[in-house]
Amino acid sequence: MAVCIAVIAKENYPLYIRSTPTENELKFHYMVHTSLDVVDEKISAMGKALVDQRELYLGLLYPTEDYKVKFVMVVDSSNTALRDNEIRSMFRKLHNSYTDVMCNPFYNPGDRIQSRAFDNMVTSMMIQVC
Amino acid sequence: MAQCVQSVQELIPDSFVPCVAALCSDEAERLTRLNHLSFAELLKPFSRLTSEVHMRDPNNQLHVIKNLKIAVSNIVTQPPQPGAIRKLLNDVVSGSQPAEGLVANVITAGDYDLNISATTPWFESYRETFLQSMPALDHEFLNHYLACMLVASSSEAEPVEQFSKLSQEQHRIQHNSDYSYPKWFIPNTLKYYVLLHDVSAGDEQRAESIYEEMKQKYGTQGCYLLKINSRTSNRASDEQIPDPWSQYLQKNSIQNQESYEDGPCTITSNKNSDNNLLSLDGLDNEVKDGLPNNFRAHPLQLEQSSDPSNSIDGPDHLRSASSLHETKKGNTGIIHGACLTLTDHDRIRQFIQEFTFRGLLPHIEKTIRQLNDQLISRKGLSRSLFSATKKWFSGSKVPEKSINDLKNTSGLLYPPEAPELQIRKMADLCFLVQHYDLAYSCYHTAKKDFLNDQAMLYAAGALEMAAVSAFLQPGAPRPYPAHYMDTAIQTYRDICKNMVLAERCVLLSAELLKSQSKYSEAAALLIRLTSEDSDLRSALLLEQAAHCFINMKSPMVRKYAFHMILAGHRFSKAGQKKHALRCYCQAMQVYKGKGWSLAEDHINFTIGRQSYTLRQLDNAVSAFRHILINESKQSAAQQGAFLREYLYVYKNVSQLSPDGPLPQLPLPYINSSATRVFFGHDRRPADGEKQAATHVSLDQEYDSESSQQWRELEEQVVSVVNKGVIPSNFHPTQYCLNSYSDNSRFPLAVVEEPITVEVAFRNPLKVLLLLTDLSLLWKFHPKDFSGKDNEEVKQLVTSEPEMIGAEVISEFLINGEESKVARLKLFPHHIGELHILGVVYNLGTIQGSMTVDGIGALPGCHTGKYSLSMSVRGKQDLEIQGPRLNNTKEEKTSVKYGPDRRLDPIITEEMPLLETLALAQEVNQR
Repeated sequence: MAVCIAVIAKENYPLYIRSTPTENELKFHYMVHTSLDVVDEKISAMGKALVDQRELYLGLLYPTEDYKVKFVMVVDSSNTALRDNEIRSMFRKLHNSYTDVMCNPFYNPGDRIQSRAFDNMVTSMMIQVC
Repeated sequence: MAQCVQSVQELIPDSFVPCVAALCSDEAERLTRLNHLSFAELLKPFSRLTSEVHMRDPNNQLHVIKNLKIAVSNIVTQPPQPGAIRKLLNDVVSGSQPAEGLVANVITAGDYDLNISATTPWFESYRETFLQSMPALDHEFLNHYLACMLVASSSEAEPVEQFSKLSQEQHRIQHNSDYSYPKWFIPNTLKYYVLLHDVSAGDEQRAESIYEEMKQKYGTQGCYLLKINSRTSNRASDEQIPDPWSQYLQKNSIQNQESYEDGPCTITSNKNSDNNLLSLDGLDNEVKDGLPNNFRAHPLQLEQSSDPSNSIDGPDHLRSASSLHETKKGNTGIIHGACLTLTDHDRIRQFIQEFTFRGLLPHIEKTIRQLNDQLISRKGLSRSLFSATKKWFSGSKVPEKSINDLKNTSGLLYPPEAPELQIRKMADLCFLVQHYDLAYSCYHTAKKDFLNDQAMLYAAGALEMAAVSAFLQPGAPRPYPAHYMDTAIQTYRDICKNMVLAERCVLLSAELLKSQSKYSEAAALLIRLTSEDSDLRSALLLEQAAHCFINMKSPMVRKYAFHMILAGHRFSKAGQKKHALRCYCQAMQVYKGKGWSLAEDHINFTIGRQSYTLRQLDNAVSAFRHILINESKQSAAQQGAFLREYLYVYKNVSQLSPDGPLPQLPLPYINSSATRVFFGHDRRPADGEKQAATHVSLDQEYDSESSQQWRELEEQVVSVVNKGVIPSNFHPTQYCLNSYSDNSRFPLAVVEEPITVEVAFRNPLKVLLLLTDLSLLWKFHPKDFSGKDNEEVKQLVTSEPEMIGAEVISEFLINGEESKVARLKLFPHHIGELHILGVVYNLGTIQGSMTVDGIGALPGCHTGKYSLSMSVRGKQDLEIQGPRLNNTKEEKTSVKYGPDRRLDPIITEEMPLLETLALAQEVNQR
C-alpha cells in the first residue's frame, strides 16, 4: 500500500525511513524531506486558527509542544483503492507501533529506530499490495 | 522567483515595443560601418525617448506615453531558426555567471541559515533574449513592423532615385507573396525617408539641396536629414567619448550576430577587422565589397542554410558559431562609434525624437482611429445578424469543422486582413503605446470573438495580453485575472502545442504574480512548464520556482533545496556545468549535516563530478572525501563506486602537482590512541638471539600487575647499584608504550635496535581496502659527536637509509568494516631525536574484474598477488592526544591535555642489554 514510510524527528532528521526495495531509495528520501515543508506549513496554519479538528493526526501531534515527531507516508497515487479511511488506519497503526517503541526502556528518544517489531509492522503495511 | 533589476512595470513595456524596419542603401550602410555599426545598431542606444509623449486616443482624450522605446532593426526575410535561438539562449545563459564577489543574502528559516544570491542575472538575460528572439507570428501583431525607415546617403549619385528604389524594394518585400516574412502591421506601412550625411566627407550644400527636394516630394513630416561622422576615425584616440553601444551590443548578441554573421562576406570581414583593428586604414573595404545590408538572412539563421559556399572554411564557421563570450571578446576590441562626436550622438537622439513625434506616433494615432472606425461600423450591424450571416456563409472565413477538429488545429483560421483580426490589431497598437485601458477592452472583446469562433490560438493570445494589460492599467480598476493566463498557457501548450508561446506566457505571468507576492502560484506555474523538450528552459524555470519557495512569507527551505537539485540536474543535462554546480552547492546548504545521508551523499557525489569536469579538483576531492568519511549508509557496491571515483580524481590531482606535498588520505581510519610503540627486538626465544630482559611484547595485552612487579624489580636493582638510594631522576625503563603507560617523557631508544610502531587501522567502508608500500613517516635531528646539533632538519628521508632504516609493508589488506593493526619497524643507525609523524601508503581498492590496465602509469605500485585498479599515494598523520591533566586547580577547571611523547624517541648510544634466559623464568617461578 505505502511505498515509503518515514518517521522524522523534531529536528527534521529521519528516525526511521524505509521504502520498497524495488524502487530508487534516494528518490523517496528527497520526496519525504521536501514534504516536511508542507507539514510545517500545515502546522503553522493550525496554530493560527483551530481549523478542521477532524484532522486527528496533525492534531494529535500538535499539543506535545516540544516533541513533534512526524510520520510521512508515500503512497502510489494510481492506487485508487486507498481511501482516507485506510490512510487514517495506517497512520493509527504506525502511531501505535511508534508508541510501543517509545515505551521500550532501552530506546533513547532521538536515536534511529531499530526495533524488529516496528520493522515488521512497516513491512506489513508496505507489502499489502496485491 | 529571484529579484530582478527591472520591475514588472518596466519590464513589460520594454519587452513589447513598436518595431520599425530599416532598409539602407549600400552607400548609407557603408557610412555607418565606419563606426563598426549597422544603421539599426547605430540608433539602438538612443531608441528610448527622454521626454513624455502625448497622443490622442479615438475618443480625443489626451494620452501620455512615458519612457517610450522603439526597436529599429534591419529587415530580414527569414524567420529565426529554432536551432539558432536555442544556441543563442544557451550561450547567453552560460555567458552570465554570478559575479565572484557577489555578497549573498543570508536567509534564516527555522534552523537553516542559507546564503542565497537574491538576483539571477542569467535568468534575466535569458528572458530578455528569449522575448527579443520571438518570431513575428500571424495571430498577434505586437512585433510586426509598423514603419520602415528608408536610408540613403547624400554621397550617392542619385539620392532621390535611390529613395524610390528603396521604396519599391520595401513594397516588394511587403506585398510580394514570395516573402512571408517579415510581417507588417498594416498594408500601408509608414515610410520614413532618411538622408544620411557624412559631415567630414560630404558636401553640405548638396545634402541640404537634396533634403529640400525630399521635403518637396515626401513632405516635411516624412523625411529627415541625419548628419553623422563629424570626425574621422583617425582622431579617435585624441578624445575619449563614451561608448554607449558596447553595453547594448554585448548584452544583446542578436545584434552581435547581425553585424558579424549577416552575410557571406562578413565572416571574412570579421576575421580581418580583428586583425586590422589597430591599423586604421581599409577598415571599410571589407565591408564595402559585400552586401552590408543583407536582408535575406535572419540574424539568427544558421549559416549553413544562408550560404552553402561558406561551409568550406570550417574554422571560421566554428569561430562565428562559437560561444557568446568569444564573440564578446572579439567585440570588446572594437571601438564603436569612432567617427561620432557628442554632437552626433545628440543628432541621432534628436532624429529618433523627431521620427517618433512626427512620423511614428501620428501614424499610430491615425491607424488606431481607422481601426476604431471600422470596428464601430462593424458593431453597427446587428451582432446577432452578423453572426447569423457568418454561419450562413461560413465557408469564407471559418472553415466548417467540428469543434474537435478545431481544437486540434493550431493553424491559421483567419486570413491576414480578416475583420476579426482588426480588433486585435487595434488592441496591440494601444498596448504598444501604453494605452492599457483601451487595450484591455479591445483584448477582452477580441477574446470573446475568438472563443465564439473556437479559434483557440487567437483566443489564447488575446487572453494573455488582456491579463497583462489588466495588470498594467493605471489605478488597477479590476483585479488581476490570473485565470486568463492559466487558460492561455494551457491552450498554448495542450491545444496549440506551441511551447515557445506557452513559455512566454509563463514568464510574463510568473513575473506578474511575483510582483503581487503570489509566490506559490508562480512556482506552480513555473514547475508546470518544465518538460522534456528543453533542458535549459526547465532548469531555469525550476531554479526560479526554487527562489519562489524561499521568498514565501514562511520560506519553504526544503522545497527550495529540492527544486534547486532538480534545476541542477537539468542544467547539467543542458551542458551548463557551472550553473549545475552552483545549484547543487546551494541545495547542499540545506541538506548538510541534517541526517539525510543518502541525499547528502548524492549531492556530494554530483558536486564532486561536476567540479571535476570543471577542473576544480580541490572541490571535487573534498566533496568525494565527504562521502567517504561520513558513516556511510550506502550499499557496498555504491561505496566501491564512490571510492573508485575518489581515487580517480585524487590521482588526477596528484598528477597535476607531482612535486607537491603528499595529500592527506581520509581512509582507512587510524585509531591513534591505540598506537603502541615497542623498543627492542621481537621476542624470538627459539632463535637464540639476544633478548632484552622484559616481560612485555607487542603480542600480549597490557598487564598492570606484572608491569608493577617489573618496575619494583628494576627499582630494587637500581637501589642496590646505587648503594641503597634511588636517584631522583630515575625512571623505570619502558619497552612498550601504549595508552596505559606514562608517555610524558621522551622515551629512550638504542641505536641499532629496532623500534616497532603498531598502528591500528579501521576500515569504515563495506569494501575492501588495499594499502601498499606502507611505511612510517619520520623526521630526524641527528646529534653530531662534535657536540653541536645539526641544524638541518631531515624530513621524510626515506632515501637516507644510513640514518634510519624503515621497513616497508608491501601489501596490507583491510576487509570491509574490519579493524586491523600493522606493525612497522624503524632501524635507527645514528643517534639523535626521532619524530614519527605518520604513515605513508598507496591507497587502493581491488576491483572484481582485476583489470591490469593503468598500472604501468603508477610508480611504486606492485602487481603482486592483487592487481590494483587504481591507487594514490598519500599520508596520514599520527597525532596522539595525551591524557587530560587533572592536577592543579587550573587544569581541573579547564580542559587541557598533557603531551604524549610515545612517538618521539631519543636515540641513544649503545647500551648494555640485560639478557635473561631460562633463569628469568626460574626467578619468576621461585
